[in-house]
Amino acid sequence: MKCLFTTIPLFIFSGTWCTTVQAHHILGRPAYSISENSATPPSMQVETQIGDYFITCMVFPAFLKPDQPGRIKLYATRIDDGKPFQGDVSFKVRDDIFFNQKEELLGVQVAIDNVYRQDFEFRETGKYIIRAEFESGGEPYLIDFPLQIGDPAPFGPIGVTVGVLLFILISVNLFQRKRLLTTKIRDAHKDRSP
Amino acid sequence: MTMTHPGLPWQWGLVLLLLICLLGVWAVIAPMSQPGNGYRWKLLALPVAGPLLRFFTVRPWPLWILRIGMVSLFLLVIVAGLFGTPIPERNFATMLTWNLWWTGLIISVFFLGSAWCAVCPWDALAGWLVHWRGWRRTQPAGSLNLRVPAGLRNVLPALLLFIGLTWLELGFGITTSPYLTAQLALLMIILATLSLAIFERKAFCHYFCPVGRTVGFYSQLAPVELRPVDPDLCARCTTLECYHGTNTVEPCPTHLVMGNLRQNTYCTSCANCSQACPDQNIAWQLRPPSQEAIQDARPHWDEAWFMICLLALTLFHGVSMLPFFENWVSMLARVVGAPGQLLSSFSLLLLLSLLIPVLIYLIFIWLTRWLIGSVLAYKRFFTGFAFVALPLAFAYHLAHNLNHLVRESVGFGTLLSNPLGMATQPLSMLEKHHRYLQILIPEDVLFGMQAGLLLFGFWISLKVIRHRGHSIVPAAGWRLFPMIVFAAGFTGFQLWLLMQPMMMRM
Repeated sequence: MKCLFTTIPLFIFSGTWCTTVQAHHILGRPAYSISENSATPPSMQVETQIGDYFITCMVFPAFLKPDQPGRIKLYATRIDDGKPFQGDVSFKVRDDIFFNQKEELLGVQVAIDNVYRQDFEFRETGKYIIRAEFESGGEPYLIDFPLQIGDPAPFGPIGVTVGVLLFILISVNLFQRKRLLTTKIRDAHKDRSP
Repeated sequence: MTMTHPGLPWQWGLVLLLLICLLGVWAVIAPMSQPGNGYRWKLLALPVAGPLLRFFTVRPWPLWILRIGMVSLFLLVIVAGLFGTPIPERNFATMLTWNLWWTGLIISVFFLGSAWCAVCPWDALAGWLVHWRGWRRTQPAGSLNLRVPAGLRNVLPALLLFIGLTWLELGFGITTSPYLTAQLALLMIILATLSLAIFERKAFCHYFCPVGRTVGFYSQLAPVELRPVDPDLCARCTTLECYHGTNTVEPCPTHLVMGNLRQNTYCTSCANCSQACPDQNIAWQLRPPSQEAIQDARPHWDEAWFMICLLALTLFHGVSMLPFFENWVSMLARVVGAPGQLLSSFSLLLLLSLLIPVLIYLIFIWLTRWLIGSVLAYKRFFTGFAFVALPLAFAYHLAHNLNHLVRESVGFGTLLSNPLGMATQPLSMLEKHHRYLQILIPEDVLFGMQAGLLLFGFWISLKVIRHRGHSIVPAAGWRLFPMIVFAAGFTGFQLWLLMQPMMMRM
């Protein structure tokens, strides 16, 4: 009980204290602003270094479904002086399969408050690759990141591998059994014949 | 910001260039001497290495335990790749596979020959899945034991897969993707299992495995070999346990008869022969590293192509890590009218990098044949001199990989405590710089080793030219000059590559 009497005022006090604190700024913006308009965590988040830039990329909302609107947010700062990139960024999409070169342009965006936002809506479930593309200092910058729309395939790489291996082993075993049986029958025929 | 490793200083380059010229002149004017059989030291007679080798080769289970260790690491690579962080420098899968294993593997050949194949995890897993056995011989009930079709009984499938692996490594960027690295590992298991389930013995190791065949060809230049202690005993042998196996020991997985064995190319160091031999006549020996390439190995059409392409691919590895290579890829993409299709222009460059050395080799072989005025078939020259490419490729590959290994394996220890790299961030510039400065051996020692390796490769290639040339046309003499220019030219290009700054892998 004593504990409760001391905890409650402390809790209230800390709450009032917090309201007066300014938001921490990371990436040159309030930390939570990059995920504004989103009550859910991002479905994916990529932080990477490429060439002269440090890139942060997020896709909202989490667990995207077909026919549900989503948004990509990208933020790029120079590694040497931390200045945000200000040119145009184009966003493209393609199916995440080997040797697929067919891309579709989602849009070309300019920075608003240093953040690039690209809205999208996919009709079909599947794995996609989003490509953010910009040019700086005469060099092209390409950032690829995966995006899952809808439920992922029930079998991952391990499931597929186990399935393929089982198929090989069982098929070979059945074929071998049949072959051995044929040999036995042939041998039996040979033994009977004079 | 892209980090680069410094290249060989120009002073080293100058000294090396001078030595290359001097050796080249010597090779043209020095009279030819008959090659001897070379020394052979029995490793089993050595005080420490002898008992250790006996332990691993006479009994089957020590090697089996080593295989379990390798399989465990391999499975960890798959798990880390599939479920760990996508940050390559923080994931065990990419760091172990590309920074340690892939670079260290070639260096291991220099000391241990094809020892890797004896503990290869995908072959071990395939064997356990198909044969359901430990180390004892079983009836091959799980395999169809078919003969490999005649059209596939050569190393060209392995060469194609090796080109594919290079494309995945340098073009597709598999080295920086833990997920794709794990998928490649799974694919290797499937291919090895499929081959073992359909074909007799180990056809995958013999004809298809790009890693095994590369290791096999390079191990022609290894200073160790698994050979008969007393060749006369093998000559009198009629039971050929090394080839057929025994009731408890498997036969040679690649159809080798030890009494006739002249080259390491297809030996997987599995030690079945030494376990099966009733006279314990098969053992590890030390030998001159150039012996096989100079005279023992027999030239074959498919093997010649493999060796030439190996030289081309090793050079392409070096070229693709030059800081300006990416510009070339972008430029070519623009030239062919597909500015966004960098992978296509990379593939085109890979194809060109294969074609150009092959074309140069064809021209120099034609020149040599023309200068000698020989009536022998062009194919004889082509296959005979292909061994020149082997020491050149091996020496450069070693020098290049040494750079990767001593500069990029720093920080691997931290991955042991967190192999999946959970809750980690990409390397900061500070960490990159820290790793950059933490080189495993002093830089001057590294430069010395790289220069020494290039010289070693050139020296062996000269010996190959002189001895193979002499065996094709005994009176060839100075007319082998074009081939000497070929070897010197390629060594010069390799030297230039080593003198350039090299981009860090991750």
